[in-house]
Amino acid sequence: MNKVLMSGNNIIAEAAIRAGCRFYAGYPITPQNELTEYMAEHMRRADAGVFIQSESEIAAINMIAGASAAGVRVMTSSSSPGISLKQEGISSMAACELPGIIVNIMRGGPGLGNILPAQGDYFQATRGGGHGDYRTIVYGPGTCQELADLTMDAFDLADKYRTPVMILADGMMGQMMEPVIFKKPKPRQYSEKFMLRGAGTGKSKFIRGLLLDPIDSEEHNWKLARKYDVITKNETLHEEHNIEDAQLVIVAYGTAARIAKGAIKRLRDQGMKVGLFRPITLWPFPELKLRALSAKIKNFLVFEMSTGQMLDDVRLALQGYANIEFHGRPGGAVPTPAELANVIARLCDKND
Amino acid sequence: MNIVENFDLYAPRLINKKELLSAGHRACTGCAEVLAVRLMCKALGENTVIASATGCMEIVSSMYPTTAWEVPWIHVAFENAAAVAAGVEAGLAGLRKKGKIDDRYIKVVGMAGDGGTMDIGFQALSGAMERGHDMLFVCFDNEAYMNTGIQRSSGTPMGASTTTAPAGKISSGQKTWKKNMPEIMVAHGVSYVATACPSYPLDFIRKVEKAKSIKGPSYIHCFSVCPTGWRCGSHLAIAMGRLAVESGVFPLYEVENGKYKMSSEMPKKLKPVKDYFKAQGRFRHLGEEEVKTIQHKVESEYQKILDKAKYLKAWD
Repeated sequence: MNKVLMSGNNIIAEAAIRAGCRFYAGYPITPQNELTEYMAEHMRRADAGVFIQSESEIAAINMIAGASAAGVRVMTSSSSPGISLKQEGISSMAACELPGIIVNIMRGGPGLGNILPAQGDYFQATRGGGHGDYRTIVYGPGTCQELADLTMDAFDLADKYRTPVMILADGMMGQMMEPVIFKKPKPRQYSEKFMLRGAGTGKSKFIRGLLLDPIDSEEHNWKLARKYDVITKNETLHEEHNIEDAQLVIVAYGTAARIAKGAIKRLRDQGMKVGLFRPITLWPFPELKLRALSAKIKNFLVFEMSTGQMLDDVRLALQGYANIEFHGRPGGAVPTPAELANVIARLCDKND
Repeated sequence: MNIVENFDLYAPRLINKKELLSAGHRACTGCAEVLAVRLMCKALGENTVIASATGCMEIVSSMYPTTAWEVPWIHVAFENAAAVAAGVEAGLAGLRKKGKIDDRYIKVVGMAGDGGTMDIGFQALSGAMERGHDMLFVCFDNEAYMNTGIQRSSGTPMGASTTTAPAGKISSGQKTWKKNMPEIMVAHGVSYVATACPSYPLDFIRKVEKAKSIKGPSYIHCFSVCPTGWRCGSHLAIAMGRLAVESGVFPLYEVENGKYKMSSEMPKKLKPVKDYFKAQGRFRHLGEEEVKTIQHKVESEYQKILDKAKYLKAWD
C-alpha cells in the first residue's frame, strides 16, 4: 500500500472512485471545488464513470437520486448554502430509500456567510435538515486518513441500510493536505431488486415517496424508524484520547477535535489531566459511550466551531450526571489550541 | 444646439461624471466585468436599486465592512437575483400606490453572472420576466464560474478548457455550444433585449439607458472578458471584447418588441475566430478541424441574426 500526499477534497473524490462510485454530480461552491474538479478529471479513469456538472445543487441531488434508482453508486458534494438547497432531495432519497453519499464541506453561515471553516451545520445534518420523520447517517471525520476510510465505509453503509449518508467535514479538512493510505474497498452488496432497469418480462417496480393513504404512510414511517433504531444500535463510532486519568473531558469532532488535541498536549505538559471524547458518527451520536464516561468523570467541555449545536446532544447523553461547559467560535473563526488551553486552564482553576 | 428628433447624440463628455461604483474594490487586474458594472451604474443613475447574485461582482465589491456601491444594493444568494429584484419592484410599487413613498421612478435592476443567469438563476429569471415586472436584468457573461475557480457553465463556449471540462488527451474542453440566452429572453416576450460589451462603452451605456426608459421587463446580455479565467493578458480585456464582436462570436444587437436591429458597431466583414482564439489560453489546445467547426457555427449563427434583423417585424 502506497502512502500518498493529497488534499482533503481530493482524498474524498479518490476514495469514492476507488469505492466504486460511478456517478458524481456537483456544482461549484467554495471550499469544495477541488472535489468537483478532481471528479471532472479522474472519473473518466473509472470504468463507466460519469461526471456531470449540474445547473444547480437541486439538480445535482436529484440527479444522484435518479442514478441511484438506476443502481449506480452515487455521490454529490457541496458546502453549507448548497447543502441547504439539497435538503428536499435528501428527504426524498430517505423516503424512497435510495443510497447515496452527500459531502458537506462546511463553511461559515448563516446565509452565504463566508468561505472559512465552520461547524454550524451540525443541526441541519444530524436532525435531518429536510422535512419529515427521517434521519441521515452523518460521519464527522477528523483526519485525512479518516476522510478516505469513512468515504469508503459510507458507500457500504448507504447500500446496507438503503439510506443517504452524509460526510460532514469543514473547509479546513477539505483544503488540508496529509498523507493517506487508501484501503482496499469491499465488493458491493446491493440487490438488483431495488434497481430500476426496465421491466423487461418481469413486473414493473416503483420508487416513490408520496403515500397518500395515511395508514400506508404511517407504516412506511415506522418502517424507517425501525431501520434508524437498528443503525443507532450498530453503527456508532467514537474515539477516546487520554481519557484514563482525565478529570475533564473535551467533547469535539472534526477540526475542533484536532484543535482540542493540541490544547490537551499543552495542558498535560502543565500537569492538567484533560482528555478528549470525539464522536466519529454524529448521527447516530455515541450517546451510551459518553454517558458511561460520566460514571467517573464529572466535568465535560463541549468545544465546537459554532454557537453550540452538538452541545444539545451532549446534554441529552449526559442527562445531568456531569457538569457541562461550552466554548465555541462560530462563523468561520478558527480558534487556536493555545486559546482553548487558556479557556480550560481557567475552568480548572475555578473548579479547584 | 439643435438635436434632431430620435437622434441620440452620445459623446464621452455627456456620460454621467459621478462614480456610483467606487474605486478600491478587489477585482482582478484588467477585469472587464467590473468596468461594465461601473458603466451600467453611470447609465442608471442614483434612483436605482440593484439586486445582485453571488459572483465575482458581489465578492469584490462588498467585502464586509467595506463596500464599493454608492447605490442601494442587496445581495441574497446565488439563484435568486431576479426573484429578489422582482420582490423589490413589487414592494416599491405597492408602497407608491398607497402613497407611503414619494412618487419618483426607481429602476430596479437584477444582475448576475452567466452561472447565476443561465444555470441556477434561470428559473427565477424566467418567472420574473414572464410576470412582467418593471425591471432590468443584466447578465455579465464571462463564460464560466470564475469566482469559484473557472468551472464550466452553460455559457461556456464550445472548446474552452475549464477546471470541470478540462482539455487533455481525451477531451477538448467544453463539449456543448453556448446557451443562447438573449434568444430565450426574446421568446419570453420581453420588450427590450440587447447584447452589449464594455469594449464599446457608448453602445453599452445607450442600451442601459434605453432599458431604463422602458416600462416593463428588459434584459441586457453583457459580454465581459475575464483575463484570469480566459488565460489572456490583463492588458487585453478591451481588445478581446472587440475581437469577439468583430469575429461574430458575440454579435451586438438589440431586439425591441420583437424587431431585431444590428448595432452600428458590427463590421461589414467578420474577422476569423482564429484571431480571437489566439491570445486565449483556454482555446490553445484546439486543432484546425475544431476551429473550423466553430468558425462554421459562428457564421451560421450570425447569419440567423442578420436574417431576423432583415425579415422579422415588430410585435403590435
